[in-house]
Amino acid sequence: MSAHTVSMRDALYEEPGPKTRRRTRIVTAVSLVLVAVGVGFVVRQFYITGQLDAKYWSFFLRPSTWLYIAGGFLGTLRVAAVAGAIALVLGILLMLARTSGVKPLAAIARVITDFFRGVPSLLLIYFFYLALPQYGLRISAFWMITLPVALAASGVLAEVFRAGVNAVPRGQTEAALSIGLTPGKTMIKIVLPQALRIVVPSLISQLVVVVKDTTVAYVVSYPDLMQNARVLITNNDALVQVYFVVAILYVLVNFAINQLSIYMARRSGNPIISRATENPT
Amino acid sequence: MDYAGLFAAYGDKYLLAVFETLSMTAVCFAIAMVLSVLITVMRVSPIKPLRLVGDLYVQVFRNIPGVALLIIVAYALPYLKVTLPWKTCVEVAVVLLASAFGSENFMTGINAIGVGQIEAARSIGLTFTQTMTKIVIPQALRSAVLPMTNLLIATMLTTALGSQVPLNPQELTGLVSYITTRETAIGILPFTVSAVVYAGFSVLMGLAGNAIDKRVRVIR
Repeated sequence: MSAHTVSMRDALYEEPGPKTRRRTRIVTAVSLVLVAVGVGFVVRQFYITGQLDAKYWSFFLRPSTWLYIAGGFLGTLRVAAVAGAIALVLGILLMLARTSGVKPLAAIARVITDFFRGVPSLLLIYFFYLALPQYGLRISAFWMITLPVALAASGVLAEVFRAGVNAVPRGQTEAALSIGLTPGKTMIKIVLPQALRIVVPSLISQLVVVVKDTTVAYVVSYPDLMQNARVLITNNDALVQVYFVVAILYVLVNFAINQLSIYMARRSGNPIISRATENPT
Repeated sequence: MDYAGLFAAYGDKYLLAVFETLSMTAVCFAIAMVLSVLITVMRVSPIKPLRLVGDLYVQVFRNIPGVALLIIVAYALPYLKVTLPWKTCVEVAVVLLASAFGSENFMTGINAIGVGQIEAARSIGLTFTQTMTKIVIPQALRSAVLPMTNLLIATMLTTALGSQVPLNPQELTGLVSYITTRETAIGILPFTVSAVVYAGFSVLMGLAGNAIDKRVRVIR
């Protein structure tokens, strides 16, 4: 058997003998029962508290409900797309500054990058929502949620881009310099295009973080999926149901994005660089 | 109001908030580590239903937005007759999120070991327990240092969820929103203090993690 067909999970065990097979079957049966009991308990709790009543669910059959959810989802997408685009540009700029070789510029870029990576996005949102208006700066709800999400992501993206640039073989830079390209041209024409291709799967997986951060939009009352969910709750008096459905929607969307990034990573052979895999400082 | 005024009026609250953020981080991270080991054991066990539950757990909690999870724990569970104190709600949400990522980190660590080493261990006659305790777990732990450092930082940042429920005492983010809504001319001061504390501790944790990693890293 070739090593590729065996996952690490399965390689941990010997091919089981008859005794082990029987034991595995018994434990499997017991665990199945335990899982069923767990699920049953949750369903029972829903049932005895009356949360399964049709009146709490029937409004999901109305198209208007789903139209409203879709509208909120569009709001989420709009924030995520714009914030993602801004973060891309900022991330590249921060990375270019940090790898520029100009000491003060690199130091400033490093401080900015570490700052945005080391501060919760909620705090950044409160900055735009509560602190800026005190200076008379009025921006729309859309930008109040989009800018902090973009800034938070730009710090992480700067590090992802830097990892991408480091992954381009040194020889490429040396060859470019030796044929007379300036360091700037080498970066723009040779290194950056290759680095960008390397980080595509990582960028897609970072989109999940952006989508998650947008959920705080209700703080600034921007009509995203979460905010619209709150309106649905007041209209239909069905808090548990709406929050569960919306949470499942978020999980599905983010799962899809994650799977896409894994697929892209496999197809291109470039690993996913995430906060978890990079160096913390 | 300047920094001196801010500290005179809210200095003690800030101290409490720093303590609150750090203690919640420590508690949540510790519980999340234990939980992620359990989840990982389930995911590598030969028991199909346990594997499925483990995988589902990780996929759900790594993909759910923190705010959505907190709101469900804090505001939806009481309808199902599960009412927790506000602080516990925040901690439950943070632990669920962190343990999913923790388990992913362990799985990556295990996968990085390579099938060949397991086959080698088996061929020299090591039992399953020996293979696990002598080959798999030590390497998985070592290569998990950096990801877990990042997870510790992420856990601290996630405790900012505490600003979404009425905590007493408040943590660093909730305190900023509290002060800024009370003092209408305070500007970015309270924000700056909290941000510097967060960023400072992030950098410290990162440095510590790097130092540990340098000592225990497995060079492949």
